[in-house]
Amino acid sequence: MADKKIKIIIAKPGLDGHDRGAKVVARALVEAGMEVVYLGLRQTPESIVNAALEEDADVVGLSILSGAHMTHFKRVKELMDKNGLGDRLLTGGGIIPTKDQDKLKELGVGKVFGPGDDLQAIVDYIRTWRGSGGA
Amino acid sequence: MRTGASIGRSLGPKLWDDFFKGSRLACARLITLVENFPESVPEIRDKLIPRQKGAIRVGITGPPGVGKSTVTAALARRAVKAGHTVGIIAVDPTSPFTGGAFLGDRVRMQSLIGDPHIFIRSMASRDGHGGLSPSTPYVADVFDAFGMDRIFIETVGVGQAELDVLTCADLIVLVLQPATGDIIQALKAGIIEAADLLLINKSDLSGTESLLESFRFLFEISARPKAIAAPPVLTASALHNKGLDEVYKEVEQLIHGHVESGRIREKKRLRLEGEMKSSVLQDLWGRFSALTNAPEEMRTAAEDLLKNGRSPYPFIRNLCARITMEIRDERTNRKDHG
Amino acid sequence: MKGPTVKTMDKKAWEKKFRDSGLREADFSTISGRPLEPLYDWDDLADLNVKKELAYPGEYPYTRGVHPSMYRGKLWTMRQFAGMGTPQQTNQRYKFLLEKGQTGLSVAFDNPTLYGWDSDHALSIGEVGKTGVAVDTMEDMEILFDEIPLDKVSTSMTINAPASWIFAMFLANAEKRHIPFAKLRGTLQNDILKEYIAQKEWIFPPEPHLRLITDLMAFCADHVPQWNTISISGYHIREAGSTAAQELAFTLADGFAYVEYALRAGLDIDDFAPRLSFFFNAHLDFFEEIAKLRAARRIWARHMKERYKAKNPRSWLCRFHVQTAGCSLTAQQPEINIVRTALEALAGVLGGCQSLHTNSMDEALALPSEKAVEIALRTQQVIAFESGAANVIDPLGGSYFVEKLTNELEEEAERYFRKIEELGGVVPAIEKGFFQREITRAAYEYQMALSRKRKISVGVNEFVNEDEKLEIPLLEIDESVEKDQIRRLGEVRRRRDNGAVRAKLGALEKAAAGTANLTPFLLDCARVYATLGEISAALISVFGEYQEQPFF
Repeated sequence: MADKKIKIIIAKPGLDGHDRGAKVVARALVEAGMEVVYLGLRQTPESIVNAALEEDADVVGLSILSGAHMTHFKRVKELMDKNGLGDRLLTGGGIIPTKDQDKLKELGVGKVFGPGDDLQAIVDYIRTWRGSGGA
Repeated sequence: MRTGASIGRSLGPKLWDDFFKGSRLACARLITLVENFPESVPEIRDKLIPRQKGAIRVGITGPPGVGKSTVTAALARRAVKAGHTVGIIAVDPTSPFTGGAFLGDRVRMQSLIGDPHIFIRSMASRDGHGGLSPSTPYVADVFDAFGMDRIFIETVGVGQAELDVLTCADLIVLVLQPATGDIIQALKAGIIEAADLLLINKSDLSGTESLLESFRFLFEISARPKAIAAPPVLTASALHNKGLDEVYKEVEQLIHGHVESGRIREKKRLRLEGEMKSSVLQDLWGRFSALTNAPEEMRTAAEDLLKNGRSPYPFIRNLCARITMEIRDERTNRKDHG
Repeated sequence: MKGPTVKTMDKKAWEKKFRDSGLREADFSTISGRPLEPLYDWDDLADLNVKKELAYPGEYPYTRGVHPSMYRGKLWTMRQFAGMGTPQQTNQRYKFLLEKGQTGLSVAFDNPTLYGWDSDHALSIGEVGKTGVAVDTMEDMEILFDEIPLDKVSTSMTINAPASWIFAMFLANAEKRHIPFAKLRGTLQNDILKEYIAQKEWIFPPEPHLRLITDLMAFCADHVPQWNTISISGYHIREAGSTAAQELAFTLADGFAYVEYALRAGLDIDDFAPRLSFFFNAHLDFFEEIAKLRAARRIWARHMKERYKAKNPRSWLCRFHVQTAGCSLTAQQPEINIVRTALEALAGVLGGCQSLHTNSMDEALALPSEKAVEIALRTQQVIAFESGAANVIDPLGGSYFVEKLTNELEEEAERYFRKIEELGGVVPAIEKGFFQREITRAAYEYQMALSRKRKISVGVNEFVNEDEKLEIPLLEIDESVEKDQIRRLGEVRRRRDNGAVRAKLGALEKAAAGTANLTPFLLDCARVYATLGEISAALISVFGEYQEQPFF
């Protein structure tokens, strides 16, 4: 049933208000035929995971440009695991140094994208993850 | 991991066990199954219906941008405060071009997040012809069996979408805003006659008075039977949290009144009848099509009728007669085998 | 405009040769998608009334510059936006920048501060000191500006929603150091409208924010006359993905909205308008950016003089700060960002900016390191002292292309003004999501153009170095910053006179419910070390909070 819609949460945890990336990516995912639940700004890890659970989302995408990515990704991942969502993909984007990207990978976070990454690459990554049966 | 096969497996005793124990994740998964696998709906509903307690389903509808989500959130908060457990189904349209959907209603429901007495589920309309997703009533069934006693179904759009909501709601709140001309659209769609409550949101904007005046005039000239009172018209400003206590009170009063008068029971009965009828028709048509070449015949006939400018009724009568014969034959066969 | 030789020239012949010469397969539109002709000439300026549209620098409508002497009189202020970690660390960075020849300060605050929250607020976790400095009380101001001569150096503060009470802390600190308010020079961003449009850092609904801004304008007109009370900002609108014309139009429309609000509040236009300043983005499309800045001056002057009837010529001036485009920086091959920034900065200078910030090459990766900040500042110095760009005023004035673009941008802005008017003004247009939708659409279109390689980003979708290794040093903010800040905040809370804090907050709340100018009340709260978050909470209890409206 690979044709079943991919449902994805897009959220901005923490305080930065730069939602250009989140909105552009959300739009690209919708254009690619996915169902995007947009949570908007100022989300806490708790509110994000609560939404992921209620929506039974396949993917959670965080957009963080504030430099607080380590804190937020880690907390969201912990809460996802705790709430039975360990098999879902946690991914995202923002201004995230390579060194931190590696650390995030160790935490079980998927690929994180940066400025200049192609929208199609993001769409393909999610499709491939889903097609390969997940993490 | 989350492929069709594994989802088939996940509809096992463990999921049901978790669901009836109150696991929110199990509830969410069951909704996904209902949404994604229509063929599993009968099996799921067989289990759900005995556990349903007759939750009241409130449809909240109206044109885009009038503040339905904010109104829904405000009513949900008040319902919880009054001791209810609330399920919210927020439907947004699927893009007919890409099949994707942007589900943005949660943004306006921020204040509800984390409340254990509220469960919010966003849904894309999918193939519901721009209105509700066909699985919406079954998602409401899941909520009902999960223990929610107030279910808010929020739909966007003008026209068909609102009429769809009639088929799965016990009570309909139509939200409008001043000075947009939406009333004309609503009139055209026939939704005003169906609404149990009219709410003018954003009443701080100018034009509220003239909209109220239009409604008064409308109800005066309406051909509504005298026995049925005109629906109440309320004003509120959900963004500024004004007038919503009154709206909530009115909704509860209407629910109470319609329960007492048997009107909600009547609606539920009509829905069940309608559902049976459409299921039976669907089933019969399916079987007949499988036995004959009916869809193809219809196409050829239509071509022919168009070309020669003839009436379709002889063909229809002929087809119906054959369906009757098929059913008779089937019955005879069964007797023979029995 | 027609010169004597024009008639003898054969344009048709050139057009034919042009078409026959074989053209590249490329997108020749601007970065904003504006279609361009291959050549501009006198025909494009046939209707240009030089006296009316251009005049001389320092003359209405100021297309060629706000001062008669421009950079021959005074170079632009080189003002690098900086702030990170604790107030002590930022103070060190300021001293470093002043030592390197910077001529003005610009404070970057961290996210909790920008939202009006204290460092120990539950949602501040992980954000304290990350993208700027944390300021919780007046004590942080004391540390931040320690040993910095506030009466000599001008200070710009990039803060909006809680601008009035951050400024109150700044004023209270100056007062404590016996520096007269009248000697303070600087700018408060204080532009809330663009927050709803682009940056999303608001606290209350628009109305109370607008009141706070108007209150501050009135207060400063009387007590802090050299202070720019608002810097109406297109920068963030552009960063959110708008086109050049949208940036121009939405920013000036915001400016008109502030003017109208202040007029309704009973202020005299010539009392506050001379203290309005602007803040624009300098993006990569060189000529379009220069034209945008020139058009901004002309449009503002016309509207102020003709529509709002300002009498004082200083009220007509669109003075602006420029920052190079953060969104044009790439994480790939970051050193190339130095070149991008240099081009953008040059556009800012040729567009006649009053002050300039050049971004550091590493900003798509992290907060800028000291080395990167120095290079950025040096870039401005190269433009100022080596390139010759500062020798002649408005050197591109009269260029067929630039004048034509200037006219086109002005016309496009006027079309937007009419549209906004139809929607009922800026605030109703915000509530209807007009700006947000326009910007999101433009951002998406640009991203798709990159995706389809109709637009090229060097090192990103073309000329990519495979297996690129990052070789520039990055600044990291130590996690201990947050702990330190929270600890010191706790100490201030214990040390101060809590009875006085409660009394002043109570008085503020009462004043907020009425109509009095709130600035003196905010100043009282700052003096007794009320925290940023306490002041926000007092005001929220009266004004309520604004909710995000998600528009796509």
